[in-house]
Amino acid sequence: MVMIEVRDLKKTFRAGRQQRRQPGRGRGEKYIRAVDGITFRCEPGRIFTLLGPNGAGKTTTLRLIATLLKPVSGSIHIDGIDVVRDPMAARRKLGFLTGSTRLYDRLTPHELVKYYADLHRVDRAVFRKRRDDLFSMLDMHEFAHTRIGKLSTGMKQKVSIARTMIHDPQVMVFDEPTVGLDVITSRAIVTLIRQVRDEGKTVIFSTHIMGEVSRLSDDLAVLHRGRLCYNGTYADFAGRMQSATLEEEFIRVLQETDV
Amino acid sequence: MKMALTVFRKEMLDSLRDYRTLMVMILIPLLLFPALLMISTRFVVAHERKSWEKTIRLGLDTNGNAEDFRQKLLKREDIRVYEGYRLHEIHVLIQKDSLDGYIEFEPDFDRKMRELAPGRVGVYFRSTEERDIMKKRLLMLLDEYEADLRRDRLRRMHIDETILEVIRLNEWNIATPKERLAGALGGFLPYLFIIFCFMGSMYPAIDLAAGEKERGTLETLLTSPVRKMDILMGKFGVITLTGVFSALVSILGLYIGIRQSRDIPREILDVVVHLLEWRSIGLLLSLLIPLTTFFAGCQLAMSIAAKSFKEAQNMITPLMLVVIIPAFIGLLPGMRLQSGNAWIPVLNVSLATKAIMGDHITFGLFAEVYASLILLAVLGVWSCSVLFDRESLLYASG
Repeated sequence: MVMIEVRDLKKTFRAGRQQRRQPGRGRGEKYIRAVDGITFRCEPGRIFTLLGPNGAGKTTTLRLIATLLKPVSGSIHIDGIDVVRDPMAARRKLGFLTGSTRLYDRLTPHELVKYYADLHRVDRAVFRKRRDDLFSMLDMHEFAHTRIGKLSTGMKQKVSIARTMIHDPQVMVFDEPTVGLDVITSRAIVTLIRQVRDEGKTVIFSTHIMGEVSRLSDDLAVLHRGRLCYNGTYADFAGRMQSATLEEEFIRVLQETDV
Repeated sequence: MKMALTVFRKEMLDSLRDYRTLMVMILIPLLLFPALLMISTRFVVAHERKSWEKTIRLGLDTNGNAEDFRQKLLKREDIRVYEGYRLHEIHVLIQKDSLDGYIEFEPDFDRKMRELAPGRVGVYFRSTEERDIMKKRLLMLLDEYEADLRRDRLRRMHIDETILEVIRLNEWNIATPKERLAGALGGFLPYLFIIFCFMGSMYPAIDLAAGEKERGTLETLLTSPVRKMDILMGKFGVITLTGVFSALVSILGLYIGIRQSRDIPREILDVVVHLLEWRSIGLLLSLLIPLTTFFAGCQLAMSIAAKSFKEAQNMITPLMLVVIIPAFIGLLPGMRLQSGNAWIPVLNVSLATKAIMGDHITFGLFAEVYASLILLAVLGVWSCSVLFDRESLLYASG
């Protein structure tokens, strides 16, 4: 069964003045190809990792899946739903979490989670149960009624997770979820990603941290300059490694693509 | 619609917890006016009292004439007379504030009086204001002296004083108190609430679009199954409501300020009481809502187009001038609501408010004002929805 199906996906952005002046760019090139014809599939109960350096197109790909951006061409289907034609239906199946915690500082965790539950039209009784389960799982009861602005980064990330999961999405999209977090909070996030996978949900996440790739990935796609350099299982990638470490292998794959 | 309400509720809660919004929306209009009114009226009254009570330092050169006038001045306790100065010295002394004024009689003043000819008197003073009290007091001295001389002349000619009184004027102003008050305060009031309407909606507009974009919360909101129009309408509702509320609070602040200030004349107190009639309030409110929606449309569109909170502030703040100028034009005497200017935003509200307060608004003109504002409000909402669909404006990076 395929939960996310991405086919020949392309996305361009209009280049800014500075970007147009960058060395190596043609004078007539007004557009930047952020995602250039990528194809991959994600299955339920598996973690799909998008690995790539900065500017590879990871965030753009995840934003396209999350319906925040519209592709120039190609298609994305989530559980059979075309995200361009029916973005609302696709969003109901999605939970989107980014690394930099993005929350409303003047609300409390309880109010924020309730707001997102309302936006997802979660029934009141269902909301109460899910909120209690999530707050217990993430150990959030103590600060559930404290304004988010007064919470620590780790606490805020927990609130972000609760917000993302309150509507019990089938697909979880994590965009560099551990960026800027301390070791303990990062570990909690990694554990959560595994837990979500074990519940049978589909997880797609982007990272440039090699440790997370080896610890979490079931499937792997290596992105470089908007194109896929590798797409397969992580076990296969690790088995075919020509370098001593994962990091060196990653760099080798990128260099091979550049040639 | 339900989703727009959900967004509205959340944005309202969020805005009401923001001390900056509360400051602009409630505290400033509510406290600023009572404070400003009390301080300014107290200052003006104290200044006027001081000017009336102050001893006048008066330079005098009668050239041996008008001895009766000189003696009168010397006897007065509120005037100190300085004699013996020459005219060229007087300019310097008045400039340096050593003297308040100087009166000079021409050398043959007394002879001219005897011959029933006009005598020349020079008055020197330094005044930059039309209603300078010192100037008024100097001229009053001469007015009184002139009246004495006139009386004396008429007596010598055996003429009854009343013969000079050709018309005995009885003035009857049939304008209603409301009409008179509309003239006095009618221009100022719309100026006041238009500004507060704009200021009150400005901060939430910046915070709810550019601020949310900068904080990155907009991105997560847009991954929810809510139509962009619902999000927009929820935000719009909050911006409009804060603008309307701020304008109403500013009127309340003005009312409290006037009631609290003991130095304000009874006339102005009556204006406020008349203004607080239900019909006037209802009509003003019906103008305020489309006006704020128009403001909210402009502000929110700019806020969406801005890359950051600061950029939005820099874009929207100068817009205040565009609002102040037509509101100010409405203050000018003789400006009345007409078919042509009823379509000019802000000016039409300013003039319509004057007309409402003066009870001479017509249904046709009111409908024109309303149509103009609704048209602009719809344009504002439409431009926001167009901008809200542009990916390049919503996300900082690709």
